[in-house]
Amino acid sequence: MDLLEEYITTGRITLDTTRVHETVTVHDPCNYVRKSQMALGDHMGDKTRWIVKQCINPELYREMCDDPLNNFCCGAGGGAWAMPYTEERLAYGRVKADQIRATGAELVIAPCHNCRDQILKGLGKEHAEGRMDMGNYKETMYLWELVAHCLIVEPWSEEEIEAAHAARDAQFERLGIVMEEEE
Amino acid sequence: MEAHEITIDRKRRKIGGLSPDLADRCFTCGTCSGGCPATGLVPIEGGEGTWDARKAIRAIVFGMEQEVIDSKWPWVCTICGRCEYACPMGIKLMRTFRACRTLRDRDKVPGPIHKGTVMNLEKGNNLGIPTEDFLYLLADMGKEMEEEGFPGFYVPVDKEGANIIVTINSKEPFGEPDDMKFWWKIFYAAKEDWTVSSVNWEGVNWGLFSGDDEAWKEQCRRIIENARRLKCKTILYPE
Repeated sequence: MDLLEEYITTGRITLDTTRVHETVTVHDPCNYVRKSQMALGDHMGDKTRWIVKQCINPELYREMCDDPLNNFCCGAGGGAWAMPYTEERLAYGRVKADQIRATGAELVIAPCHNCRDQILKGLGKEHAEGRMDMGNYKETMYLWELVAHCLIVEPWSEEEIEAAHAARDAQFERLGIVMEEEE
Repeated sequence: MEAHEITIDRKRRKIGGLSPDLADRCFTCGTCSGGCPATGLVPIEGGEGTWDARKAIRAIVFGMEQEVIDSKWPWVCTICGRCEYACPMGIKLMRTFRACRTLRDRDKVPGPIHKGTVMNLEKGNNLGIPTEDFLYLLADMGKEMEEEGFPGFYVPVDKEGANIIVTINSKEPFGEPDDMKFWWKIFYAAKEDWTVSSVNWEGVNWGLFSGDDEAWKEQCRRIIENARRLKCKTILYPE
């Protein structure tokens, strides 16, 4: 999160804010907000929102909660995504589904692998199959997926590419990687 | 309803009594369970009603902690920390419920998280992906990236002195490899000096979730060891 912020503020990456046309909301992973606050004295909620707003037209942003520190868990945290209690996990996630519906947003940004899976594959599937109502919801993206989606990429210079190829070939040799030759 | 006597044995408690903020200081206000989406999801086996955070804490205070440990409660609870954040008495609910997970016999840990932890300790990642497969996948995907508009891209492996060392969620190389490209594209655009370790690159710590303190610590140690071995200043943990 700090790294993405640094890349954006220092101009190391530039973003095209016209690629996303959907309304967007942010889900706060428990590890980023409460646990960071309690362990490190800082929470990432404001930073997540700032990064998202650098990627999109800020008018498309829809807030999910009054305070990131009190946002609800997706329902799959603490290893629950991997546990066999699917019914409980989805019941828990209803709270999140209701929150998403209330925002009216189409795209949910989840800055965590676990939350993204729950919202995309867990709740999103329930929504698609009519067992849950997430309103206008269409898709879920990782925060870094959104950044990558909006990234303006300048291909490297010839010299940079050559240097990278040399470094790569040396690495393959060191690791014993033999790539098949192309036709 | 027939009333029955509850026998309280507060002396032999494993969780309660360790430290007052693990349960004993609770004054039963119910702020924790009032704001918890897991309230009401787990029926109390052999009893009435359903578990919630307040009842689980009460059970521990009363010496009935084995009932909490044997229940699904500590596993359906996602240890999200809303209860602890709001608790007026400073009860460490997350630590308390994780302690319940720790006290579960390892062969009774639900789902794959204990098996994954054992796998990780043996093979360096939760899903047991062999090093060679991992390295070839990264090499192939680097080539794909070059063809997709990122000429010169490759995944630097074991690069000494890189600015950033990145951990990887094993579900990605295992089942969703293209999802690794999001960060790679950002690194490319930023011209970041980064690397991935060829061994012990797993970023998902199931020891944390399963309540296995030793495994938890070992996985953290390995990530730090990788950074020290490769002389990287910053660890990026995209979890």
